Amino acid sequence: MDTDGLPEMAMMQLSDSAFPAGLFAASNGLEGMFMEKKITTAAELAEFGRACLVQQLGPGDCVILANVIDYSKSRNYAGIAEADAVCTAIRTVKESRDASRMSGVQLARCVGGFCDDEVLGWYLGQIEGGAVSGTYPVSLGICSNALGIEKDRAVIMLLYGFVAGTVGAALRLGIIQHMEGQRIIHDLKPVMGRVAQESAGRGIDEVWQFLPQVEIGQMRHEKLDSRMFIT
Amino acid sequence: MARIPRIGIGGPVGSGKSMLIERFVPVLARDGYRVCIISNDVISKEDADRMRQNLATDRGLLPENMVIGLATGGCPHTAIREDPSMNMAVIEEIERDHPGLDLIIIESGGDNITTTFSPALADYFIYVVDVAGGDKYPRKRGLGIENCDLLVINKTDLAPLVDADLDVMKRDAAEVREGRPFLLTNCKTGEGIGEACGHIVRDVLFDAPPKGAGETA
Ligand SMILES: Nc1nc2c(ncn2[C@@H]2O[C@H](COP(=O)(O)OP(=O)(O)O)[C@@H](O)[C@H]2O)c(=O)[nH]1
Ligand SMILES: [Mg+2]
Repeated sequence: MDTDGLPEMAMMQLSDSAFPAGLFAASNGLEGMFMEKKITTAAELAEFGRACLVQQLGPGDCVILANVIDYSKSRNYAGIAEADAVCTAIRTVKESRDASRMSGVQLARCVGGFCDDEVLGWYLGQIEGGAVSGTYPVSLGICSNALGIEKDRAVIMLLYGFVAGTVGAALRLGIIQHMEGQRIIHDLKPVMGRVAQESAGRGIDEVWQFLPQVEIGQMRHEKLDSRMFIT
Repeated sequence: MARIPRIGIGGPVGSGKSMLIERFVPVLARDGYRVCIISNDVISKEDADRMRQNLATDRGLLPENMVIGLATGGCPHTAIREDPSMNMAVIEEIERDHPGLDLIIIESGGDNITTTFSPALADYFIYVVDVAGGDKYPRKRGLGIENCDLLVINKTDLAPLVDADLDVMKRDAAEVREGRPFLLTNCKTGEGIGEACGHIVRDVLFDAPPKGAGETA
């Protein structure tokens, strides 16, 4: 091995479904779509995953994450704060803003507990003081940088975590079984790769996301009496 | 930010966790303690709604926003044990916004007998089994029953209906608990509730007076 493997291991650690950032409690809009009977099959689930990657995560969170890693390297604190504000602003549904903040803060606290890093320390202080909200993609960017994970790898990690988490939620909702879940993850790999490439080089002012059907589903979801997932 | 003492209440679905909380809060509120409840619903808000209606809306024992429901993605054990981060996130916001609280009660979404609360989440862990599950329960052991800080055997009124022998349960519990506390409760009559609250005030709050003591409500 020509490197010590530490960044790769850090990547596996942060994207492990057992990493304690509460992502197991999020279905990323899937439960809302499932309850409205808009997603009930493996094929529809795969299409949902593809749409989220192409229309939400790629042009939105991935761009934010990549820029935050650049900002972290150059100690551009104003840039990080702006990225955090943008990340909050593009989440039009309250439950998804709240969930992103809750996971992001817990991720930062957890990594801050074992890794001493100036930018991460600053970010935790800003969260404490209420100056930033602590969104997940921003937090993931700062933590990735602190652990030596490169930008392009971090973007893949974010996308993979989303797909694996959504598939896990689909299993628990009974939409698919475990073998189908792995097939969907496999089939979405090229989409994740393409989305990651397309997001590269974009600035914070180019961030967008547009997936209204899912967002409307989530707005109904947050008012449901009976639900399993936070989002 | 000062840490507010936290109790975790676990135990099988239907053993009476919510009902016990509904019994504890009036006793604690009578003594001036301000409590917040986080209910980790497995699937519905029903428990949180019932507690809010009863304790906040109808009886005014706490503000309505002090009963919080939290979804657990169908993984109630994960949410209190290996990844308590969503509960922690809610608690941190409560500690920031309501520093005058004396106690946070976290109800798990319903467990099997091996479940325990993460010590990072709860300072004190009450495990609730009920008589209707059969008098075999204490001796079956399991981490929850053995290791909790207080074992509660609830619904003693149902013993004759399910052929459960309370003496057997007491004997087995004493053996399994090896000197750690356990008690029997009946939420219908309130039997054992005062004693349970005594444990909370002594072993969790260390007999501290309510933070709001002396203030006018
Ligand atoms: N007979 C009897 N019923 C009880 C007692 N405690 C709770 N229950 C009932 O048991 C059911 C489940 O109680 P609940 O508190 O919702 O259980 P949880 O799922 O553990 O929160 C409810 O219908 C309660 O009214 C008790 O001491 N005696
Ligand atoms: Mg309950």
